[in-house]
Amino acid sequence: MNSQPSLLEKVFAFVDERVGLKTLQAKMLNEPVPGGSRWAYVFGSCLLFIFIMQAVTGILLMFYYVPSADHAYASTQYIIHEVDYGWFLLSYHFWGSSAMVVMVFAHMSQVFLWGAYKKPREMVWLVGLALFGLVMAFGFTGYLLPWDQRAYWATTVGVEIMDKTPVVGDFIARFLKGGPTPGQMTLSRFFVIHVMILPAALMGLAGLHLFLFRKAGPAGPFQGSVEELKAKTDYFFPRQVWKDVVAMAAVFFTICSLAFIEPVQLLEEATPDPGDYHPEPEWYFLFLFQMLRLKIFSGELGQFLAGVAIPNAFLLLLAALPFIDRNPERNIFKRPIALVGWIVVMAGILIFTVSAIINREFLD
Amino acid sequence: MTGQASNMSSVKLGLAVAWPAFWTGVPIKVVIALLLLATGLHPWEMPGLAFLLLLSIPIDIWALGLSSRTVFLERLHLQPPALIGLTLWWQATLFNALYLPIAYLIESQAVAGAKAVVGRILELELLKSLPVPERIGIELTMWGSAAAVILLVLALGWLFGFGRIVGRQVATARPAAEPYQALVRQWDLLRVPADQPLVLTVLVASGVTLVVLFWAFMPVTTPHPHELYEKPQEKVGPPLKPAEALQKTEKLIAQAESAVQALEAKAKKDVKNKGKNKGTGKGAAPSKAGQPKVGKTETTPGDAAAPTR
Amino acid sequence: MQPKLKSKVRCTDREVGEVTRIIVDPLSREVSHIVVGRNGAGVPERQIPASTIQAVTDDTVELRAPSSELNQFPVFRRDEYVTIHEVEIAHLEDHLHVQPGEVLVPLPELERNVKRRTFFTNLTHAIGALIALPLVYPVLRYLMKPMYAPFDNRWLKIGNVNRIKADDVGVQFKFKKTVKEAFMPEADVDKNVWVLKASPAVLEEVYGSKDMEFRDHTGGVIWTNKRDVPYVAYSGKCPHLGCGYKWRNVPKLGRQIFLCPCHLSIYDPSGKVLDGPAPRPLDPVPIRVATNGDIEIIDVEYKAGTKVQTRIV
Repeated sequence: MNSQPSLLEKVFAFVDERVGLKTLQAKMLNEPVPGGSRWAYVFGSCLLFIFIMQAVTGILLMFYYVPSADHAYASTQYIIHEVDYGWFLLSYHFWGSSAMVVMVFAHMSQVFLWGAYKKPREMVWLVGLALFGLVMAFGFTGYLLPWDQRAYWATTVGVEIMDKTPVVGDFIARFLKGGPTPGQMTLSRFFVIHVMILPAALMGLAGLHLFLFRKAGPAGPFQGSVEELKAKTDYFFPRQVWKDVVAMAAVFFTICSLAFIEPVQLLEEATPDPGDYHPEPEWYFLFLFQMLRLKIFSGELGQFLAGVAIPNAFLLLLAALPFIDRNPERNIFKRPIALVGWIVVMAGILIFTVSAIINREFLD
Repeated sequence: MTGQASNMSSVKLGLAVAWPAFWTGVPIKVVIALLLLATGLHPWEMPGLAFLLLLSIPIDIWALGLSSRTVFLERLHLQPPALIGLTLWWQATLFNALYLPIAYLIESQAVAGAKAVVGRILELELLKSLPVPERIGIELTMWGSAAAVILLVLALGWLFGFGRIVGRQVATARPAAEPYQALVRQWDLLRVPADQPLVLTVLVASGVTLVVLFWAFMPVTTPHPHELYEKPQEKVGPPLKPAEALQKTEKLIAQAESAVQALEAKAKKDVKNKGKNKGTGKGAAPSKAGQPKVGKTETTPGDAAAPTR
Repeated sequence: MQPKLKSKVRCTDREVGEVTRIIVDPLSREVSHIVVGRNGAGVPERQIPASTIQAVTDDTVELRAPSSELNQFPVFRRDEYVTIHEVEIAHLEDHLHVQPGEVLVPLPELERNVKRRTFFTNLTHAIGALIALPLVYPVLRYLMKPMYAPFDNRWLKIGNVNRIKADDVGVQFKFKKTVKEAFMPEADVDKNVWVLKASPAVLEEVYGSKDMEFRDHTGGVIWTNKRDVPYVAYSGKCPHLGCGYKWRNVPKLGRQIFLCPCHLSIYDPSGKVLDGPAPRPLDPVPIRVATNGDIEIIDVEYKAGTKVQTRIV
């Protein structure tokens, strides 16, 4: 060193002496990714990014939104019509939630197809499933807050379906509604769940998810000889981080564009009588909604089966997956049951979702 | 997949080059489309579309070059021929000009045909009584699977054709003698631009341009206002002109004064008359003193005090 | 056993130096090479693959090769490697036992008493639980407070029977119900019921053989609709999902019926389900008609979507 260290270097050395910053930085960033960084691995980071954006836009919305039945609608309309760029931030928050669900499906699919739920990553997978549940809960609770007809009725129908659960259904429905019928108590509860309980849970579980992932190490590609993997290995930073950031930028642009092209528009304020309005949940619940329309699921037991039992049974199956599927083979083309299963589930969800959209025209 | 050139099927080869080439080009094309939108041109219709397609040519050539070189070095262990991007591009364009219209025709006919057939199947007595949600689901699954299978076949056909085009380059390529690690380094370094400051500058400049345009053009309030939403109207009162107001006030006060004086004079006269009448014994004439004169005297002090509303 | 740092290295013929460094494979987490440093200035360290190791003891590593072949092994290049503290490779330390000895710190004197440790551990757990415990009951009650509100059994005047012109025809009576929810200001909610002047046949279908009793949450009867009163009032909410239904003339059926526009449940004048997803017939509510014809009802609400009638408001 010929010259004096710069101010920045001095600060860095100060912190490093007390915290071990250099080592910490190395440990955080120099994680070797076997087989090299891949675009297929970006979905998890994208999810984190979308969550942070949702938190930021959500906090901004809370500067003006009032969670009371007589002000929720008006305050939301105020944000859309009066607050500068409020329409854009609200629309970003709305489309961001859809993006989150899409990304969750992409991330889960990638992990599943790469067999990255197998030993030693079982716990990462389980925590991931819990995170999936949280994301769906976020979507469900947030939807009520504008308190227009769409929000009120989608929530009412959703909670009524949960009510069909034997034994505990009535208790759960009353707990969520804050009473026998939806009203102010419902809005208060959904608000606190959406802005406090779920974010805290998500942050905790996401931290745990990342910690467990780091401890297990990235699984890497499912094919390739050891030499190939070694030759292509690069570090998390900068290569994988670069890919992550590009993907985040793409996601950011997409959400901005959607917010621009299709901004949020409320229906009329919620009323106890749906009148001509046909309740419908958000698009990522449409497949369940359509299943509930089938004749085989009519009646209380049927509604419980289609709305609660079958979806939860499927999630339980996913949770059990690492313990049922102990074959260490991770190549998807050598796991026919897994591949076919994934295709069938995705195709089924797609068909039911599109059917629900087509069905709109047949509702008199 | 790490085997020799001849082992890779055309479809696999086509996919290995086309997939990354597509995704490499897309982000740049999206930025161009956004810039076009900002100038008011729609990138999905002429003349914006022509602009986009024209600019896509160098982008596609570059992307095809990058992906094909990577595949040659990484998967095939061959030295990529010179100008491979350009060669692949013009050959693929010819191929597309032939293949895509035919494929589109086949697919659209297939979809229409499948829908018709399925519609007729569901008219059968056996299935006529199916409720609506079930019908929709079954119809969609039936013609959807048929259409998807045909689409898949057409896609594989395209990949096969494109793979053959790549294969012709493979056939003329020399083997790469270097060890695997060196090949990996070679294609990896293809991604590091020769002139880093230039690339970074262009990227940041276009990004900043987009952001500034975004700030300039984004509407402050929603572009789709709710039909029932009433913006609170600010009622603007008439402008206050102090000099005029004072003059008006003075005039009114002067009028009021003269009216009051006239009334007082009248009252004095009437008192005198009253005394006279009483004296003569005639019936008291209905006192006209109480009746106010119509007109100017009607103005009340209240009016004078309020020049503005 | 893994080779230890600082162990002596012996070739088949003689000792050649010591293990100065150990190289680990990041994927398999096994020792892949040892680096042998030799005495003498300027002699470069050589990198020996683990396959060349014949035997390992605590302080010696024996190689298969003779010392003459040592120079055929590659020279060690430090710039091609990083220490394990500069990367994040999961579980790497668990697999490494290359230190020639242990590094220790003293266990405090006080902590050596196991009984003491267990007692304080258990006591900590107990106190932690005792901090949380008092909150459980009040918090549960706190959260559950509005969930089981008592029923509203007020009589509400909705109109007069002179609006009903014919038998077995549904007449909608709209009224406003003043509702106070928790802390919200009193609000008027628009409600409606459908009232029928029932002919004896329809009355028979509605009541069957007995009068209709209405109970409160304790089970006590608050009102009985007598069979001989010809007026029947149905709750304005469809028992399927709570939509407001209508009275319609359907030429195809040749009669008038109640029709719910949401999912097309159809009911006849006695409330019986003719078609659609409704799980039970229309719900009659308590009704009393004064001598002057004023109709009063109790606005009873039942849970939608269930076969069994369950009162909720």
